[in-house]
Amino acid sequence: MIPQAPELNALLLRVASARDRAAFAALFSHFAPRVKAYLIRLGAPAALAEDLAQEALLSLWRKAHLFDPAKASAATWLFTIARNLRIDAMRREKRPEWEAEDFIPGDMGGAEDLLALADEEMRLRAALKELPPDQVQVIELSFFADKPHSQIAGELGIPLGTVKSRLRLAMARLKRALGDAE
Amino acid sequence: MIRHHPDEALLLAYAGGASDEATALILATHLAYCQACRARMAKLEAIGGGLLQDLAPAQMSQGALDAVMAKLDTVLPFERPPRPVSRDGTPDVLRRYIGGDLEQVRWRSMGSRLSYLPLFRRGSVTARLLRGVPGAETGMHRHGGQEYTLVLKGGFTDATGSYGPGDLQVMEGELRHNPVADPGEDCINLAVTSGRLKFETLPHKILAPLFGF
Repeated sequence: MIPQAPELNALLLRVASARDRAAFAALFSHFAPRVKAYLIRLGAPAALAEDLAQEALLSLWRKAHLFDPAKASAATWLFTIARNLRIDAMRREKRPEWEAEDFIPGDMGGAEDLLALADEEMRLRAALKELPPDQVQVIELSFFADKPHSQIAGELGIPLGTVKSRLRLAMARLKRALGDAE
Repeated sequence: MIRHHPDEALLLAYAGGASDEATALILATHLAYCQACRARMAKLEAIGGGLLQDLAPAQMSQGALDAVMAKLDTVLPFERPPRPVSRDGTPDVLRRYIGGDLEQVRWRSMGSRLSYLPLFRRGSVTARLLRGVPGAETGMHRHGGQEYTLVLKGGFTDATGSYGPGDLQVMEGELRHNPVADPGEDCINLAVTSGRLKFETLPHKILAPLFGF
């Protein structure tokens, strides 16, 4: 049984609060091989993927105090760390990122509270597995191809409009699965 | 109130890490203004987390865990770099590219009513700031590629609608428009374009290439 979101979040919170090395080792054993697989999917040579996976987990150790389980699950939080490391290392660009302190007050239109995403991770993963294959494909390529959707469309031999409508359909299904009324 | 948002594909490309730097900058700046899209973004990133969880693990090298454990005591906890104080509410993510606040920009003039500041160019994609006095027209144009425009101050109107602070306009290809700065204060936009703009009228046709548009 692989550890699930609540358990992984709890381990990460132990790292944050107590610098718990055993908790870190458990997170490393679970996540490092997955981050390495993610980087290999995106075209990193195995040696670079190994280095970046180690670096991502070291970042997790250094940044654990910034983790907020009300905003993201441990997996999602680490995904964003790995994503940004990859952009830095493989594309040699910075990733411009908005920061929470950046928030410009005054826009309350369409405001919705950030959901407690951690608890939803299992439902989200189950819903992803239920999507039709053509929708899963465009979602996966959005995360694993490092290409704009126009190029993804070209390689799949379908119009960009079709890629976009598949994404919209997929997102609508995922939101429904998460019980979002929109 | 923000009415014009990035579509699912654009935001998903940013969440997945596929956006080029200029597009990422304009989306990050939109997020600084738009709470609704920050919530959308959190959900899209959660899909990334879900996919990561379900990837078949790759074998780490022998001793990888020990090597990293040995480093834990040598690294310092991450500290956010001190944040410069913006005097006019310029989002930090944009400040880093401008090198200061919007009110500190040294505008380059392009005629009497429009001015601009190039931020950076990567391949065929350019990020720049544009400023127009009330009533200033960009000139009717089509697009060699995509044109993303984010209003930072003031507003503009064209045949597709009206845009105010935080609104993101996406134009591409054969869509034509002639944005006109709204009355009141100057309109300041962040614009990201790929390919050249194709102006239809003189003198824009002649002048635009001189300014790199």
